[in-house]
Amino acid sequence: MPPLKLLDPRLRSLVSERGFTGLSDAQVQAIPRILGHENVVLIAPTGTGKTESAMLPVFSSLLSEPRTGGISALYVTPLRSLNRDILSRMEWWCARLGLKIGVRHGDTPASERRRQALSPPDLLITTPETVQALFMGKRLRRHLSGVKHVIVDEIHELAGSKRGAQLAVALERLHVHAGEFQRIGLSATVGNPDDIGRFLCGARPFTVVQVPVAKQLDISVKYAGDTFRKQAAVLSGMIGGKGSTLVFVNTRVTAEALGHELFERGDVEVHHGSLSKEVRIDAEERFKRGEINTLICTSSMELGIDIGRVDHVIQFGSPREVARLVQRVGRAGHRLHTVSRGTVLATGFSDLLESLVIARKAHRNEIEDVIVPVNAADVLANQVAAIAVEYGEIELARVQEIVERSSVFTRCSDMLADVCRQMEEHRLIRIDGSRIITTARARTYLSSNLSMIHDERKVPVFDIVSRRTVGTLDESFVVGWVHTGAVFITKGQLWRVLEIADGKLTVEPARKVQGDLPSWEGEQIPVPFSIAREVGRIRRSRSIREYSHDAENVLFAENFLTEMDKNKTPVSSDELIVLENTDDGVVCNICAGHKANEALARVLSALVSARFGTTVGIELDAYRILLRLPAYVRAADIRDILTTLDPTHMPGILRLALKRTALFKWKLVQVAKKFGAIDPDADFERISIHRLLEFFDNTIIQQEAYRELLSDYMDIDTAAGIVALIASGRITVSTGPLSIIGAEGILSSRDQVPPPTADHAVIAAIKKRLDADDVVLCCMNCHNWKSRTVISRVPEHPQCPKCGARLIAALKPWEEPLYAIANKKRKNTEERATELRLMKNANIVLSSGKKAVTALAARGVGPENASRILRSLAEGDAFYREILKAERTYIQTHRFWQ
Amino acid sequence: MKIQFVSEGPALLVRNKERILVAADLHIGIEADLAAHGWHVASRTNDRLLRLLSCVESESPDRVVLLGDVKHNLPRTTRQEYFELPGFLSAIRKTVPFHVVPGNHDTGIARFLQEGELLAKNGAVLDGFGYLHGHTLPSPDLAGRLIITGHHHPLVSIYDDVGCALKTPAYLLAGLNDSLLFRETGKGLKQGQKQRRKGGGTRALFMPAFNECAGFDIVSIIQHPFSPISRSIIAGSAEVLLSDGTYIGPVSSMEEPDAAA
Repeated sequence: MPPLKLLDPRLRSLVSERGFTGLSDAQVQAIPRILGHENVVLIAPTGTGKTESAMLPVFSSLLSEPRTGGISALYVTPLRSLNRDILSRMEWWCARLGLKIGVRHGDTPASERRRQALSPPDLLITTPETVQALFMGKRLRRHLSGVKHVIVDEIHELAGSKRGAQLAVALERLHVHAGEFQRIGLSATVGNPDDIGRFLCGARPFTVVQVPVAKQLDISVKYAGDTFRKQAAVLSGMIGGKGSTLVFVNTRVTAEALGHELFERGDVEVHHGSLSKEVRIDAEERFKRGEINTLICTSSMELGIDIGRVDHVIQFGSPREVARLVQRVGRAGHRLHTVSRGTVLATGFSDLLESLVIARKAHRNEIEDVIVPVNAADVLANQVAAIAVEYGEIELARVQEIVERSSVFTRCSDMLADVCRQMEEHRLIRIDGSRIITTARARTYLSSNLSMIHDERKVPVFDIVSRRTVGTLDESFVVGWVHTGAVFITKGQLWRVLEIADGKLTVEPARKVQGDLPSWEGEQIPVPFSIAREVGRIRRSRSIREYSHDAENVLFAENFLTEMDKNKTPVSSDELIVLENTDDGVVCNICAGHKANEALARVLSALVSARFGTTVGIELDAYRILLRLPAYVRAADIRDILTTLDPTHMPGILRLALKRTALFKWKLVQVAKKFGAIDPDADFERISIHRLLEFFDNTIIQQEAYRELLSDYMDIDTAAGIVALIASGRITVSTGPLSIIGAEGILSSRDQVPPPTADHAVIAAIKKRLDADDVVLCCMNCHNWKSRTVISRVPEHPQCPKCGARLIAALKPWEEPLYAIANKKRKNTEERATELRLMKNANIVLSSGKKAVTALAARGVGPENASRILRSLAEGDAFYREILKAERTYIQTHRFWQ
Repeated sequence: MKIQFVSEGPALLVRNKERILVAADLHIGIEADLAAHGWHVASRTNDRLLRLLSCVESESPDRVVLLGDVKHNLPRTTRQEYFELPGFLSAIRKTVPFHVVPGNHDTGIARFLQEGELLAKNGAVLDGFGYLHGHTLPSPDLAGRLIITGHHHPLVSIYDDVGCALKTPAYLLAGLNDSLLFRETGKGLKQGQKQRRKGGGTRALFMPAFNECAGFDIVSIIQHPFSPISRSIIAGSAEVLLSDGTYIGPVSSMEEPDAAA
C-alpha cells in the first residue's frame, strides 16, 4: 500500500491541500515504520522533508489515540530559532487537525508557561534544556505521563555532546513517568547511524532509514589567491548573479572581515552568533525576501532554519570536516530532487589540498563518525541533582537504574558513588545510607545549570589609547586563547593584548601584523587525522591531478612544491616529519591533524621544558606545531626527543604536562561549574585561581576534566602511533631551515607549558640581577686607576688601561672608599687588613677573570666566599647555583638584617 | 641573631635569645567566604594545622607568633569559625606557647584566646624584633627595628625568555620612611631615631600568607600600596626573597618583560 494511504483520512486531504505532489524517498521509507510504532532514526539530507516524514505519521497516531489530557508528543530541537521555525510550519497542520501546539524554551514568557501548566498542548516543541525544566514542576510532571512520541531533530548535533548525554538521561527519566514511548531521531548524514540509534533508544530496538546524500552533491574546489584581498575579490566575482548564495566561513572574525570587504556592494549581509537576535532575524528576513542575495554566515546557518531558496553555497576556506561540508552544501537547492551546488574557495597551499581531500571524501560519502560521550561525570552530577530535586529522596540503586538505561552511562556504580560524595561536599545532596536526599542548594543549582552548555561570560576589551571599551570577547576564549602580545581583530580593527586583569582585556591598536588575518582562530574546528594524512600523501606523491582538473589549482600547487624543491627544503608528508629552525623556536611539520598534533605538542613541550628548564609556548594546526623556545634549543634537540621517545610513556607524560597548562585550568573550571563546586557567577578576580584549583586534585572533577580533554581535545593514541612509526623507521625525521610550508598559514596561538621546576627561571633572574649590578674595578698594581661599570660590560679578563696589569680588585659600589684607604702611604693595622683584602680580591680576579667579578658582586660574598665558589669549578647554571647558596647562607645571618 | 626561612610554611624562624616561629595570614574559615563568592570547596583547616605543626616540629621554637588574620570573616564570626577555631588553637596551645598579633580580620578573636596570648593591634617587640600585622600605624616601640609584617600576601612572578615560568609566594624586604610611619608620636620617634643611629633604620619584612589561596603581586603592592606600612616604603629599597630564602634581587630588576616589544 502506498504510504499516504496508511495515514488518517483527515490528514490525507490536508496533504493534498498543502500542495504535496509526491512524497520524497525519506517520507516513503519512514512513514510506514513510524506508523507501525517503531523507533526510527531517519538520516536524510536537509530539505527532503524530514520534519514531515516524522510528523505526518505522528499526527495520524495522535488522531487515532485516545487523548490523555497531557502532552502527547515532544519535539526537541537544539536551537530556539529552529523551534520557532518548526512551530510556524506545524501550526498549519495542527490548526486544521484540532490539535493544540505549543512551544516552550528560554524565551517563552511566564504567562505562556503558566497557560501550558494549566492546559498542556498536545504537541510541545522544546529544547533539551527546557525538557530538564519540565521535570521540576509537579503539575508539568503529571502532564508528561501521557507522552507517546518523542522526536529529536538534528540529533547529530546533540549526540556528540554533553547536552546530548543529558537529553538521553532525561528520556529515561521521562520513561519512568510515561512508560515506553516511540522515539524518532532526525539526523543529517553521519558515518555511524547505529550509534545515533543507540544514543536515542538505549538497548531498545530501532530502525535506521537512510537516504544517501552523495549523488545529490556537486562540489568544486577553487584556489582563490594568496592574499585576503584577492580572495575577497574572487568571492565578490562569484556572488550577485541571478541566484542567491550562502557563504559559509569558519570563524566570526572571517565573517566580519569579509563583510567589511564586501560591504560596499550593498547586497551582502553578515550572520553569526555574536550578533544580536534582531540583527540576525533581520538579515534572515531580507535574504528570504530577496532584498539581498548573499548571506555570509558561520555554523549559525548550518541547521535547517528556513531562509528560502539558496542556489549556491560557497565555503570560504577549507570546511575542515566532511560532515560539515556536506551539511553546509546541503543548504543549497532546498527542494526535493535538486542537486546541491557548492564551491570551496581555498585560501592557501595546505588549505587547497585539504579542501580537495574533503571534497573527494564527500563525493564518496565518507563522513566522520559522531562520538557519543560515555560516562561523563559532570553530566551524571547534573542529573543526580535533577533526580534528587524531582523525587526529594531516592535510592541510589534506582538512580543507577535510570541512568544506565540510556547508552551514555554504563557500569557507572563506582563513578556514581564518587560523584555523590563530591556533591555532598558541595552540599548539593545529602547521603543517607543507600539514599540520596535533595537540599536547598540543589534547586538553586539546577535552575542555573539546566544546560550542559558552558555559559559564557563576556570579557570587555579596553583600549588603553582611547581609554574606552571597544567590544567584548568570550571568557573561555580569553582564558584559553588570548595571551599577552596576541593580536586579534574586533570591530574591524587590529588589537594587541597588553594585559589580562581585573576582568578585562587591556589592548592597544596594532598597526602591523603578518598576513592579512588575525593570528588566532576563534572557533577552531579540528581537522581529522585521516584528512591530514591524505594531504601528506598528496604532498609526497604530488598527485594533485588525481584530485582536481582545475588548471589554476594544479598550477598553483605544483609551483608551490617546485619552489620548495628550489629552496632545497624537504616537503613534509605522511612519511616525513621536517623540523625547521625559526627565530621564535622550532616549527615541527607533522601531517597528523589537530587532535594528534595537540597531544604531540604537549608531550614535546613537557619534555623540552623538563630537559632545558624553560617555558615552552605552543601554537599548532593540523600540519605543523610551532614550539616557542629560547634561542639555545634548536631543531636537532627536538629531533633527539622525538626519535628517542617511548610511545608507551606518552599518555603519562601528557597527563602530567596538562596539569600545568591554561587549557586544563580552563576545562577544570568548566567541569567544576557543572558539578556545582563553582557557581556560574563566581568571582574570579578576587580569588587567586591557580592555587584554588589545587583543591580539586584527585577528585572526580579533575578526572572528568582529564577525560574530556583527552577524548575531545586531543588524541594521544594517534600521537603515540606517529611516534611508533618514527621508531620503526616508517616515518623519517629531518631538520632544516624554515620552509614556505612551515611558514605558511596562520597558527592558532594557545598555550604555555612552564618548566616543572622553576630552578632555571630563578637562576635566570639572579643572573639578570648580577649582570645589571654596579661594580668598581680598581688597579692594585699601579694604584692609580678605578672605573665604575656594570657586570655585563666587564671584559673576560679586566686589565688596567694605565699600567696594563691584570691585578684588578672588583668592589661593590659601597666598598669604593676602601680603595683610597688601601692606597694610603701610611696605614694602621685595620687599614693594612683592608689592603690585604683588596689584594686577595684582585688575585682572585687575576686568576678567574670575569667569573670572579660576578661572584664578588653577590650579596655577602667576599674574597673568601668567592674563592670557595670558584674552587668548586662549577660552570653555567651550577656556578650561579653556588652563588645562590652563598647568598642564602648570608641572608640568614645577623649581618644581613642589620 | 638569625632568620631562617621555613619554606614548608611559608614561615620564619627568628633566632636571637630565643627561637620564635612566625606565620602570617592563616585565614581560618576562608571557605565559608569562598562559598559566598561562588566557590564551594571543603574546609582545609586541618591541612593548615598539620602544616603548622610540622613546621613547629622541625624547628622546635620556644613560642609561635601568628601574625594576624588568624580568622577570616569580618565583622562577624561565622559558624565555620566557631566550629573550627577552638580546636585549631588548642592543638597549637598543647604543643607550644603562642601569641596572636591581631589583624583586620581578627575581630572577635579574643573570645578564642587565653590570657597573654593576644598582643597589641599596633604591634609588639619580642626578643628585639618588631611584629605587626600591617594594616595599622605601628607602635613607636617598633621604630628603628626590623618589623616582621603580614597583611600584604606578596606573590612574585618570574619570567624566562618565553613566558611566565613561576608564580610563587615571596618575601619583600624594604626600608621604611620613618617620618611617614611615626608621624604623631614625637616621643616614640625620638626613641626610634636613637635606635636608628645604632641600627640601619626601620625596615619591614613582608611575609607571604600561610593560607594557600591568597596573594597580591609584589610589583602592584609597590605601585598601589594599600596600608600605612606599604605607603612608607622607600622607593628603590624593596628587595625580593623566595620562601626558601633565595635572594632574587631588587624589585626594579624584575619588572615584566615589555609585552609590546
